[in-house]
Amino acid sequence: MKNKKSRSFQLSEKQLGYAMVIPSLILVIVVVLWPVAQSFYNSLFDYRLNDPSRSQLMLSATIDLERYVDNHFYIGGQLDSLADGAENEEDAEKVKEIQQDIENYHSEMISDEALKVKVEEIDELLANFTPVRDSELKYSKLDNEFAQEYQQALEAHAAALTKIAESSNNEQSAQQFQQTSDLLTSTASNILNSNFIGLDNYGKYMKDQRMWKAMGNTVFFTVISVAFELVLGLAIALLINRAFIGRGLIRATVLIPWAIPTAVAAMMWGFLYDGQSGIIAHYLEALNIIPESSWLLTTSDGGMFSIILADVWKTTPYMALLLLAGLQTIPQSLYEASSVDGANKFQQFWSITLPLLKSSILVALLFRTLDAFRVFDLIYVLTGGGPANATESISVYAYKTLFAQQNFGEGSVLSVIVFISVAIISLVYVKLIGSDLFEGRTK
Amino acid sequence: MKFSKLALSSLLLIALVFFLVACNNSASTDQDSNDESDTSSDNGEQAEEGSEEEPVTIVYARGVDTTPGTDAVIKAFEEKFPHIKVEQREMPADTGQSHDQYVTLLSSQSSEIDVFNADVIWPAEFAQANYVLELDRFIERDGINMEDYFPGTVAAANFNGKQWAMPQYTDAGVFYYRTDIVDEPPATWDELIEMSNELKGEGGTEYGYLMQAAQYEGLITNAIEFIASYGGEVVDENNNVVVNSPETIKALEKMKEIVTSDFVPENILNFMEIETENAWIEGNAVFARNWPYMMSSSNDEERSEIVDNVEMARLPAGDEGTAAALGGWMTMINRYSEHPEAAWEFVKFISGPEGQKITAVEGGRAPTLSALYDDPEVQGVSSLFANPEFREVLQSAVPRPVSPIYPEVSDIMQIEISKVLTGDQTSEEAAKNMQEKIEAAMAE
Amino acid sequence: MNKRGGIEFYLFLIIFVFLVMFPFIWVFLTSIKPPREIFSSFSWFTSNPTLASYEAALTNRPLVRYMINSFVVSSLTTILALVFASFTAYAVTRLPIKGKGLILGLVLAASMFPQIAIISPMFSLVTGLGLRNSYMGLVIPYITISLPLAIWILATFFKKIPFELEESAKLDGASPFQTFRKIILPLAAPGIFTTGILVFIAAWNEYLFALTINSDDLWRTVPVGISMYQSQYSIPWGDISAATVIVTIPIVILVLFFQKRIVSGLTSGSVKE
Repeated sequence: MKNKKSRSFQLSEKQLGYAMVIPSLILVIVVVLWPVAQSFYNSLFDYRLNDPSRSQLMLSATIDLERYVDNHFYIGGQLDSLADGAENEEDAEKVKEIQQDIENYHSEMISDEALKVKVEEIDELLANFTPVRDSELKYSKLDNEFAQEYQQALEAHAAALTKIAESSNNEQSAQQFQQTSDLLTSTASNILNSNFIGLDNYGKYMKDQRMWKAMGNTVFFTVISVAFELVLGLAIALLINRAFIGRGLIRATVLIPWAIPTAVAAMMWGFLYDGQSGIIAHYLEALNIIPESSWLLTTSDGGMFSIILADVWKTTPYMALLLLAGLQTIPQSLYEASSVDGANKFQQFWSITLPLLKSSILVALLFRTLDAFRVFDLIYVLTGGGPANATESISVYAYKTLFAQQNFGEGSVLSVIVFISVAIISLVYVKLIGSDLFEGRTK
Repeated sequence: MKFSKLALSSLLLIALVFFLVACNNSASTDQDSNDESDTSSDNGEQAEEGSEEEPVTIVYARGVDTTPGTDAVIKAFEEKFPHIKVEQREMPADTGQSHDQYVTLLSSQSSEIDVFNADVIWPAEFAQANYVLELDRFIERDGINMEDYFPGTVAAANFNGKQWAMPQYTDAGVFYYRTDIVDEPPATWDELIEMSNELKGEGGTEYGYLMQAAQYEGLITNAIEFIASYGGEVVDENNNVVVNSPETIKALEKMKEIVTSDFVPENILNFMEIETENAWIEGNAVFARNWPYMMSSSNDEERSEIVDNVEMARLPAGDEGTAAALGGWMTMINRYSEHPEAAWEFVKFISGPEGQKITAVEGGRAPTLSALYDDPEVQGVSSLFANPEFREVLQSAVPRPVSPIYPEVSDIMQIEISKVLTGDQTSEEAAKNMQEKIEAAMAE
Repeated sequence: MNKRGGIEFYLFLIIFVFLVMFPFIWVFLTSIKPPREIFSSFSWFTSNPTLASYEAALTNRPLVRYMINSFVVSSLTTILALVFASFTAYAVTRLPIKGKGLILGLVLAASMFPQIAIISPMFSLVTGLGLRNSYMGLVIPYITISLPLAIWILATFFKKIPFELEESAKLDGASPFQTFRKIILPLAAPGIFTTGILVFIAAWNEYLFALTINSDDLWRTVPVGISMYQSQYSIPWGDISAATVIVTIPIVILVLFFQKRIVSGLTSGSVKE
């Protein structure tokens, strides 16, 4: 009977629903997921910024026109002067042949109208000593077969010239021949082969000991620190959920560790752990908890211990806050009812608090695990991954590969490995959280 | 329903307004240096300073500078070249972090900065990645004699036969000793070991020797000094890896002997420059290895317990003599700078005698121009600059391997050497591993 | 549950808070020591306390400016992220749309990739938008990285609100959006304030993006600003400790102010099952 009304209601609710979801989705996709997709793509290439022959993503053969045009400019002149100054007919003949051959390849290449325009433009820029900024202009695709032929031809000619240089007794002309040979070699290296290598990088890392070590460190760190944070966080949440005088102040103070920026907190802990003047190192040694004050930052176990302690200190408040919010949703009446039934505090905790807190706990655990698995700042600042790589997490390894070594292909592979590991972990959690969250209003 | 739609759209509108307001906010500061036409880079003759030249602003990026040196040199430059305004951009003080910042910036071909300071270990890498401008053309045009500079500093900026950076100020590992405890510094590493054992504890000290042995870039400078003092090399002039040699093994053995001895702090494996300085100025040690800057902190009344009791010398010698690792900073020009000509003018100024003198006097930085050490004003800055021994150290300082993949080489060495010092492997294994891994990295 | 604790409880509380706070207390004590005492002894109190470090912290670098920047960036991030996230969470939990699992999954996937790996593309994106050295240049990335957490927490909260309330509002003729605004939001207040605090502090703490995107000193935020106190071979601990204390105080006040809201809402409101 009220069918009609509810139907129109449904429709507009749906529209509203999509309208409400879209802003977040757009942001997430544009700002994060798109770069992630790019990283996936990068990981399929041998892509290094500090190597001119691999600093582009090239699916097919490519030519570095800036350097090629620059080199090509000298080839004609140098070969001419070689032909003129050759000691015998045979050499002169050979040089002319080379020149003809290179010219043929060159004109075949610029028979492509678009490429010709580019070459002319670059020529002009180079004449003005202006670097070529636009990578669209700087690089051009070539036919794979042609590229290979041209490159091989250049290399063969270079070898021929070297041979002439070696057999010549005139030192000056030998040097000239060698110089031109070098020029041809360098021109050959301007023709770049595709650096698409598919999953090879992944294969490499599957066998990389350092990757597995970093993975082991990361897993160990994640499991231990998240476990401590959960237990301590839950205890703190239960504590500050009680009513007592001054609890507002206590709530604010236990959050302080989390409010100190990680970059600063890591520096601060470095100062506290220091084997000479660190107060924490000093007390732990005095209490016989650690063998000696230098143990913390100079040994493998000590390094790991230090990082975990600092992380637990810093992020337990976060966990506590999340769980406290979850505790707030448990109706007081349930406790009252069970008190009437004669249940003690402990029984109440098991039968009421924990089950009702389940989804809050799991969501908190999920996000803490994701963060811990990607740990970076803390380790980077506190130990830099040392001593002897005992505390290097996989994110730190990826960062070093990406930025210190500028190897964007392999760095992306490591990032993707983190992504996949984290995705698997999340899947487990999401299964545990269950359909709770996803169901609509079906009861 | 109508109301709800209204509310929804108004909320979105508010969000949009936020965006726009903030965008406007930024626009003003963001575009400081775009509109000037590209008067520069036409090369050659018209570079003579003229008063009618259009005003340009260049951005100069450098690590945090707590001395007045940088400000003073910029001021002097702007007075001399009124049409060029120099804006500063601060980068993190940590070398590694600022390296990564430059990589992010330059790899996106941003023209935001024009000139920047580079650690001595960067030029080859940045040159190969096409981030910076080669300076040969400028150097030749303006007749700058590179032989006026210390050879190591020039070599460190030379890659593939081209000059990619101008040396700005230099650094080299030096040896400190306490004049209230000893009269003469040890001449060899063996003497150092002997004297440290004997002298530790005297004059309120706790340790004999301090050095940098944490797993970081500084470990490489320390190791290079050991290796070079025994006649070893990592990469030879023909770019061959030659690290697996008896000399290297002997050097690593000596390094390990010192690091594991009981005259160094137990946490020496966590020592960087900062820890060294702290322990040193507390008066905790008889000897130390550090950069020249520690001289002034040793004599800082506010912090130091050992004022006037410190002298510096060359590092102890191995079989081959003494060696100091080269540090210091260069100045480079962003390849994508929109004002290369003005940028060069600035680079020329700060790396020239006039600029270097200002940074030496105001900022206490060691000049890279040998002649400046004869200048009485420079000598007046500190006893260090007046000390002929110091100039000799700089003259012969050893650069770290000049390679476009230096960061990778350094990473390999840090791990392998660190493992020797922690006792996880022998020196022989380390030398062999370094040889293999560096060769593999270079071949890739 | 409403019992007041005895002396033992407070004693335990004091010890507990002391342990948690110890590193911070030590930083505070360090900040009032003269420089040469910082490394030389383990004694807690200095005989001649000084505010010199505070003066240095405020004058050597524009610390107040950093705090204003951080405050603006974090507040904008928090407000916008809460708006976006509560919309999404509401739609996903209460409205009949399709692909809920997919939406939540996509959002979650955004926090699975190491942040260091998206710095380069993010830098190019922000540069492309002309937002380098601005507040929005940081707010946009920050909102995005805080959305997953915010959406998921709010979703668990919205989920717990009884449907009966919504149904009765509907019967009274309220539109879905009115229901959202008048019924759901007030009831979920503790969740929203908790999320708000989490997002705010996460934005306040962020370092790498802030370092890379806002390279001009005028636009730096607190974590980057504090790291700039150190020079190549020295860390002025006195200044850094003082700066850390100065920047932590407003956060504590903020949390003190908002924590009241965390515990109101559901428990004090009209919902009793």
